Amino acid sequence: MTKSVFALAVRSFALVILAVLAVSPAAWAQVDYQRDVHPVLAAKCFACHGGDKRSGGLSLGDYQSVLDGGRSGAAVVPGEGSESLLVRRVNGEIKPVMPPAGAPLNEREVAVLRAWIDQGARSAPTAAAAKRRFVAPLELTKPTATFEELLDVYLKKNGVTAAPVADAVFARRVYLDLWGFLPSPEQLREFTSDKGADKRGRLVRQLLAHRENTSEHWLSYWNDLLRNEDRFGTYGGDRLSISPWLKQALSDNMPFDRMLRTLLNPREKTDPEGFIRGVNWRGEANASQMPWIQAAQNTAQVFLGINLKCNSCHDSFISKWKLKQAYGLAAYFSPDPKLELVRCDAATGEHTTAHFLYPQLDRPAGETLNERRAAAADIFTDPRNGRTPRTMVNRIWAKLLGRGIVEPVDDMDQEPWSPEILDRLTSDFVEHGYDLQWLISTIISSKAYQLPSVAQPEAVFRGPAIRRVTAEQFIDSISAITGEWPVLQLNNSREARYVREARLASSPLSRALGRPFRDQVITERATEATTLQALELVNGKDLYQLVYRGARRMLGQLPPAPKPLFDSLVMRGDTKPVAIDLPVAGLKQLYLVVADAGSYATDMVKTNWTTDAFGVIDTGAVSTKVVELTGKNLDRFKASVRVDPSVHRSDINPSVRFFVFAEKPNYQQLVPVAEQRPAPLAETAKAQLARRVFQHAMGRDPLPRELRLLRTETPEELADLVWALSMTPEFQLIP
Amino acid sequence: MITMDRRTFLSTLAAASGPALQASEQKLTPTADTMIVLWMGGGMAQTETFDPKRYTPYAPGTPSNQVLSTFKPIDTVVDNIKLTEGLENIAQVMDRGTLIRSYQAADLGFILHSRHQYHWHTGYAPPQTVAMAHIGAMISKTLGPRNAEMPAFIDVGQDMEIGAESQAVKAFHTAGFLGAEHGPFMIVNPEDAASSVRPLKELGDKRFQSRRELWRQLTKNSPLQQAGGFQKESLLRSVESAHRLLDSASAKAFDLSLEPKASFDRYNTGRFGQGCLLARRLTEAGARFIEVTTEYVPFRHWDTHENGHERVVEMKRQIDRPIAQLVRDLEERGLLNRTLIVLASEFGRDMMMEGKPGNLVKNQVDVPDIINSTKHYGMHRHFTDAGSVLLFGGGMKRGYLYGETAPERPCKTIKNPIGIEDLHATLYRAMGIPADTAYITEKRPVYVTRDGKGKVVTDLLA
Repeated sequence: MTKSVFALAVRSFALVILAVLAVSPAAWAQVDYQRDVHPVLAAKCFACHGGDKRSGGLSLGDYQSVLDGGRSGAAVVPGEGSESLLVRRVNGEIKPVMPPAGAPLNEREVAVLRAWIDQGARSAPTAAAAKRRFVAPLELTKPTATFEELLDVYLKKNGVTAAPVADAVFARRVYLDLWGFLPSPEQLREFTSDKGADKRGRLVRQLLAHRENTSEHWLSYWNDLLRNEDRFGTYGGDRLSISPWLKQALSDNMPFDRMLRTLLNPREKTDPEGFIRGVNWRGEANASQMPWIQAAQNTAQVFLGINLKCNSCHDSFISKWKLKQAYGLAAYFSPDPKLELVRCDAATGEHTTAHFLYPQLDRPAGETLNERRAAAADIFTDPRNGRTPRTMVNRIWAKLLGRGIVEPVDDMDQEPWSPEILDRLTSDFVEHGYDLQWLISTIISSKAYQLPSVAQPEAVFRGPAIRRVTAEQFIDSISAITGEWPVLQLNNSREARYVREARLASSPLSRALGRPFRDQVITERATEATTLQALELVNGKDLYQLVYRGARRMLGQLPPAPKPLFDSLVMRGDTKPVAIDLPVAGLKQLYLVVADAGSYATDMVKTNWTTDAFGVIDTGAVSTKVVELTGKNLDRFKASVRVDPSVHRSDINPSVRFFVFAEKPNYQQLVPVAEQRPAPLAETAKAQLARRVFQHAMGRDPLPRELRLLRTETPEELADLVWALSMTPEFQLIP
Repeated sequence: MITMDRRTFLSTLAAASGPALQASEQKLTPTADTMIVLWMGGGMAQTETFDPKRYTPYAPGTPSNQVLSTFKPIDTVVDNIKLTEGLENIAQVMDRGTLIRSYQAADLGFILHSRHQYHWHTGYAPPQTVAMAHIGAMISKTLGPRNAEMPAFIDVGQDMEIGAESQAVKAFHTAGFLGAEHGPFMIVNPEDAASSVRPLKELGDKRFQSRRELWRQLTKNSPLQQAGGFQKESLLRSVESAHRLLDSASAKAFDLSLEPKASFDRYNTGRFGQGCLLARRLTEAGARFIEVTTEYVPFRHWDTHENGHERVVEMKRQIDRPIAQLVRDLEERGLLNRTLIVLASEFGRDMMMEGKPGNLVKNQVDVPDIINSTKHYGMHRHFTDAGSVLLFGGGMKRGYLYGETAPERPCKTIKNPIGIEDLHATLYRAMGIPADTAYITEKRPVYVTRDGKGKVVTDLLA
């Protein structure tokens, strides 16, 4: 070192000073960005990195741009001149050497840059040292302080002193977050009047213990994340539903690492192959949308918080990820162990085998697809891979508090508002065996979750963001209030079921409220209020029927539907005739009903009843024929039903269901519904209805001035009340 | 004009967070304020409609491959344009229109109607890594509503629950990444259109008002006035504006019962005809984008897998009168100049060929060598090399024919082929939207035409 300083000294005095400075920054006065640094950059770098010119994504045109760096990462690491890419490129340490053409920087210029960075890369001599650009680590660092201690320190440091929210607010949040619908007035009262110790913790445990309610609620979240639907109308397995597995996994609280391993490496028939198979449409896919590329995109997005979508087609213009890396990850999921890179639909001739995005976790990928999938499962759950559990912890945090510790949740390279808190919580999660319920319960029990919410979240965490209820929470909460739930009726079942909204196909109502099409991974729902959405809420038939049926049920005006004596299940154009033989002694009449079950051209469908007593009755896809039994002296009604063979055509696609009833059927409910409901029914005296409905919807007693507004005499009044309550911000926003 | 190479432009974009961006800083003067898409869902056979070929009457024993058109050609008011029998009314207004006979659908390796329809409506073939936006949503996002009381994007006639392809059809009837605000206002049955913007029948006007009043009182009297921040404000505002829309004068446009009977009858050939009438009324009331569909249902309507001739007779009966009437009515009201009508379908049809020459795909319909039943008389296979698109008004040429197809099988495009990118670029251009207009999602641009590369076909412009 001394030698080199000496060597410089013979050239010029000024250079000596600067060179000494480079070795020991404190030895000389401060380098001034404007006076000393900017001119060097302007002279030597602006041809490619000035103003609008951003070669490699890097502009050196102004101070902030220099600090922002480019696609290769930070150009400047404040305090570490010799480590900074800017210096190492201009002094020839790292290729490509800069500038690529023209005069290189002379030693004085290099020294100026190095000294400026060593001194903290300040914008001006009097300004504070620049902050280092955050680099998201791969591994976890577990701080010694506990999660709660770290949280305390953070909140104190940022002057967050608010007291936890009141019991009623806490309960509202927790019921919505764990069960997905509002607590009943009785449940709320039981909790608020509880005087025992740790009652919040007990409530959380009690709700989590109800596996059915919890899993039905969280199913929607995971369906979004894993782009799953209960039923796909598909051709030859273009998409596969993973619902049965997912439901079981959530009910069993399957450890997250095991879920992940099974999703990436499905072996059994019951394993969830649908996730890595992706969303395929019949026909040829663009190279960047082959199933294995989708698997790379989806696993990276969901489990690493990395967006590989751009670089599935070309090297990313906005991140460091290259085309080759997307294909490297894809090769774990492709039948072919070696993939040819296709850039924007043009084959490149370059190939890659399976490689992980972080080379340090790479492991031999294996010859067979099964081996490669197993290797991927190992890599994603490798103990050295802190990124995956960190991503998941951040997702659950964001789901429960409206905003992640890292934002956006799909870009885990961004700086957390507290890396320590995130890593401590993640380390604990891993040590607890990737226990998702432990994680949920820990977050909910924390001070952070229980702070009052904030309308405009900032970079500093001050409390949960105000959230809006999801489509499912909205609809299920109304059902919980009225006791009337959506009904799922399947073509092949003689009994329908009351279900949570999530179990039905999306409807105009649920879509208006943000239930997505799951053609892509959805990690955050759209929650904005729009006029189109409000039109559906104000005027849509779905919500009207939901509240009106509910109101009639609450007032005891929804009699149980008559049960059919006969139900053919679904019959199509090629279904063989089905025979009917029913005892009918003592019956006055029979209702012979045909209901449509998905014909394409309902009006062209023809059906026939061939009866012993009444001859042949020709009807259509939607019909009721009443036959009088009085005076017929019949013991049995014998008949056979069929779809008329003449309509067995592709454009008609006849699909109907035949029923026989002894009394006038309820056409909304031809198939009887099993009694079991997602939440128990509460019978309320009519006089108490108004108060109770209000309490249930708002989580508080009505004020006298509010109580005066509530009318519940008729089903119409009650329906309008439930509707009006459900339209209030108090109902729709989670406080 | 600042020119940037694409990569530099993209880096700039990545840093920006603004809404619409376009690489070229063109300022386009729109020639249309409203677009009406008349969607022939299911694959309209071009040789049976707008591109007549040699007529072969039905005769048992005819070799299948000799049949090119099952309808006779007819004259139109434009000398060099012939249509087929059954389109006599449209023939009379051809002097107001441009007929494209050279639309080529994409090769997607297999025919799946909903996938080609997705491609037509968004400009992108699924699957896609982000949820793409319907052309109506793109127009809504870029231009906004023409009349604040009228949804910018109205979709008429398509039921979303259509069996196996429901999921697929839903996938493009959406604003996708642009956000629900720009999504379609769906009206399945035009006859019921009024009910979508009038208090529900079950509810009635009186309850509609009293319910609204109850809601207002409940929100006003809530002790929690301060809670909720901007989310609360936007929620209240959205509910108020929905009520305002339902109360507005513009809502009357949705009510077909207000149309004089004579006029209603001229349009009324069924749901599609009524949809055309609705489109006219909505255009008058200030709608921005309207799509009226004959409705896609697998194997129905234009999806003629069998009995093609007979089925097309019926389809032409449904569309001919109302489309001609729509053109005349808009012209009479002085609106045709500023309204672009686009009739299109996801691909064409042929009797023999599935796919296109040089890119045949798996046959989906059995065609016997010799026709011995009317069941086999018609265009039953899916043909992607040629299809017809009809344009009226909105700055397009009048009485103009663009593109040409071969007179003999395979009746492929032999002149001026046009694909979806360029067709869209031309439609967007009419609306004043450059083809490289982009919106940012996940830090990257999504262009209104794929990669911003659509080229306006200036020949089509008046």
